[in-house]
Amino acid sequence: MAHYQPPAQGKASQLIDVVVLVVLTVGALFVPIWLGLAGAAKSVTAPVANPTWESLNQNAAQAARYEALGFTPESAHDLILSRFDYSFSIGALLTMIVVIVLYYFLILRFSEVEYREVISEKFGE
Amino acid sequence: MTEVDITSKTIDGIGPHGVKVGLLRVLGPAHVWALGVGIVLVGEYMGWNFAVGKGGAYAALIACWFAGILYTCVAMIDSEVTSTVASAGGQYTQAKHIVGPLMAFNVGLYLVFAYTMLEAANAITAGYLVSVVATMTGHEGDLNQRPFIILVIMFLAWLNYRGVLATLTFNLVITAFAFAAILILFLSTSGIVGAGIMDHAALFEGHALPYGWIGILASLHFGLWFYLGIEGTTQAAEEVRSPARALPFGTLAGIMTLLIAATLTWYVCSGVLPWEFLGDGVNGSVAPLFDTARLSGSTGLVWLLGFGTLFATLASANGCINDASRAWFAMGRDKYLPGWFGAVHPRYRTPYRAIVFLVPIALIFALGAPLDQVITFSILSGLLGYTFMPLNIILFRRKWPLNSIKRGYEHPFHPLPAIMLLSLCGVTFFAVFLGYGTQLVAMIGFYIVVSLWFHFWRYRFVNRGAQFTMPWPKPQGY
Amino acid sequence: MGLWNWIEYGAWALSAAFGLHMVLDWLRTDSTYPEDVLTSSREGELEAMAEEHKVTS
Repeated sequence: MAHYQPPAQGKASQLIDVVVLVVLTVGALFVPIWLGLAGAAKSVTAPVANPTWESLNQNAAQAARYEALGFTPESAHDLILSRFDYSFSIGALLTMIVVIVLYYFLILRFSEVEYREVISEKFGE
Repeated sequence: MTEVDITSKTIDGIGPHGVKVGLLRVLGPAHVWALGVGIVLVGEYMGWNFAVGKGGAYAALIACWFAGILYTCVAMIDSEVTSTVASAGGQYTQAKHIVGPLMAFNVGLYLVFAYTMLEAANAITAGYLVSVVATMTGHEGDLNQRPFIILVIMFLAWLNYRGVLATLTFNLVITAFAFAAILILFLSTSGIVGAGIMDHAALFEGHALPYGWIGILASLHFGLWFYLGIEGTTQAAEEVRSPARALPFGTLAGIMTLLIAATLTWYVCSGVLPWEFLGDGVNGSVAPLFDTARLSGSTGLVWLLGFGTLFATLASANGCINDASRAWFAMGRDKYLPGWFGAVHPRYRTPYRAIVFLVPIALIFALGAPLDQVITFSILSGLLGYTFMPLNIILFRRKWPLNSIKRGYEHPFHPLPAIMLLSLCGVTFFAVFLGYGTQLVAMIGFYIVVSLWFHFWRYRFVNRGAQFTMPWPKPQGY
Repeated sequence: MGLWNWIEYGAWALSAAFGLHMVLDWLRTDSTYPEDVLTSSREGELEAMAEEHKVTS
C-alpha cells in the first residue's frame, strides 16, 4: 500500500485551526452560562419565620458550632434550609443516555477506520 | 535538514534518529508522586465539600470511598498501560496506539480541558485566599482579586517554562507540606494529641441522610473531586528516568496517599462543622480544612492550614500547567494540532510554545466563569476520560495479550477493574445529570463537533503509519 | 493608599514581568534556532533505542 503523504500546513492555516478550536471551547463553556441554563440552584422551599436554632432543627451541639462560626439563627436561615431539587424527567435522562452512547459510538467507529489504516501502513501489507 | 554543530553547548542532548531537542529525562518516582498528589490534594482543601451539600455527611463518605474504588481502578489500569506506552501525552498516546486516532484526539482534549479548568479553579481559589488574608490583616473593603489570580497563573507558567526539574521539585516540597498539614490537623483535633473538638454523633443527629438515597448518588459527582487528576502522572512519562518502574510506583503510592488524605479530611471536617455549612462551598465553607482550624481556637493551626490551602492550590495549578502543556505538545508533535506546538525549548527542554499558549486560555476561564461551572467542566472532561480507560485496557489486553509485549506492571484481576470502572462512570454520569445535565449535553455536543472537525479536516495533516511509534508486534485481529 | 493597594500593584507588576520574560525568551528562541531543530522531538525515542539495541546485539 502506498504511504499516505500528508500535505504541509501553512502558517495561516495553522492559525485558523487554533482560532476555530479556541472559539469552540469558549463557546462550550460560556453558551450555557449566557443562556442561563447552567448550574444546580438551591432554594429554600419552606422558610421559617422568626427562626430559632430549635425551629431550624439544630440541636445544642450544632447550634454551638454555628455560633462559633459567627452565625445567628437569622443569618444561618438560608444556609440551613436551602435544598437541591433532584426531580428530573425520564425524557431528559433518556436524551442524556442517547447522547453519551451516540458520542462514544461515533468516535469508536471513526477511530477504528483510521486505526486500520495506521496499522496497515505501519506493518505493511 | 539544517546543519547543526553537534558539539554546540547551546543545543545539547542529541538523541538518536536525528533528534536534536527532546524533553529532558531527569525525574524520579518522588516527582511522579508529587505531580499526581500535588494536582489532587487541593481537592481535599476545597471543592469536595460540595458532596456534603449534595447528600449530607454520610453520603459524602460513601461517595469518597466509591470514588476511591473508581480511582484505584484508574490508577491500576493507567499504571499498566503507561508503564508500557511511556510517552508525553499520557492517555492521549495510549489511545493513539490502542484505540485509534479520533479517540486519541478526544482524549487529548479531555486532558487539556480537565487540567486547564482545574488550573483556573485553583487560581480563583488562591485569589480568594489572598483576599481573606487581606481582610484578616485589617484591609478595608474588598480586595481586587484579579492581579493575584493572574500572578498565580503567570508565575507557575514561568516556572514550568524554565524547566521541569525545578517545577516538580517545588511541587514536591509544597505538596508534602500540605499533606503534613492535614495529618497535623487530624492529630490535634481528634483528641490523639491534646483535647479533641470532634463531635460526630451530636452533629449528625437528625441529619444523617437529608436527601435519602438519591443524595448518595448525587454526591458522587463531587466525590470525584477528592482524587481528580491522579491520572496526570502519566504525562511525565517522557521526563522520568525510568518510566517502567517510576510511573507505577509513583502513581500507586499517590492513590494510597490520597485515600488516606480524603478519609482523614472527611473525618476531621464532618466532626467539627455542621453539614449545611460544610456542604455549601459558596456561602458556607469555601475552604473546609481551614474553617476547621479556625474552630480549633489555635492560631498556629489557622496559619498552618491557611498556608496548606494556598500551597495545595499552587501545587495543583503547577501540576496542571505541566500536564496540560505536555498533552497539547504531544498532539502538536503528531500534527493532531498545528505542528508549531510540537516545539521543545533548546535550553530549558520544555514544550515552551504549548505552555505560553495555554496561559491566556487559563486566564479566560479563571477571570470569566464562576467557580462551580469551572469545576464541573473539569470533572466532566475527567469523567469522559475515565470512561475511555476501561475501553482502552480491554482493547489493550485483546490486541496485545500478556506475553506478546513486555509490560512494566501488570494489574491484577483483569477485567474486573475495567468493568467496575465502567459501571462507576455510568453512575457518576447520572450524578452529574442530576445537577448539571445541560452542561453535560453542551460539553458532549462540543466534543462531537470537534470530532467531526478532526475526522473530516484536521486528520489530513497527520502522518498515518509514523504516528505509531511503539516497537510492538502487529496487534492481534488486524 | 494602604499596604494592600501596594501589594496589588506589586502583583500586577510581577505578573507583567513573568509574562514579558516568557514572551521575550520565546521570540528570541524562535529567531535563534531553525524551526526543524525546535520541532525535532519525536515520540518513543527511548523505545526506539531499546529496539535498536536488541537488533544489534
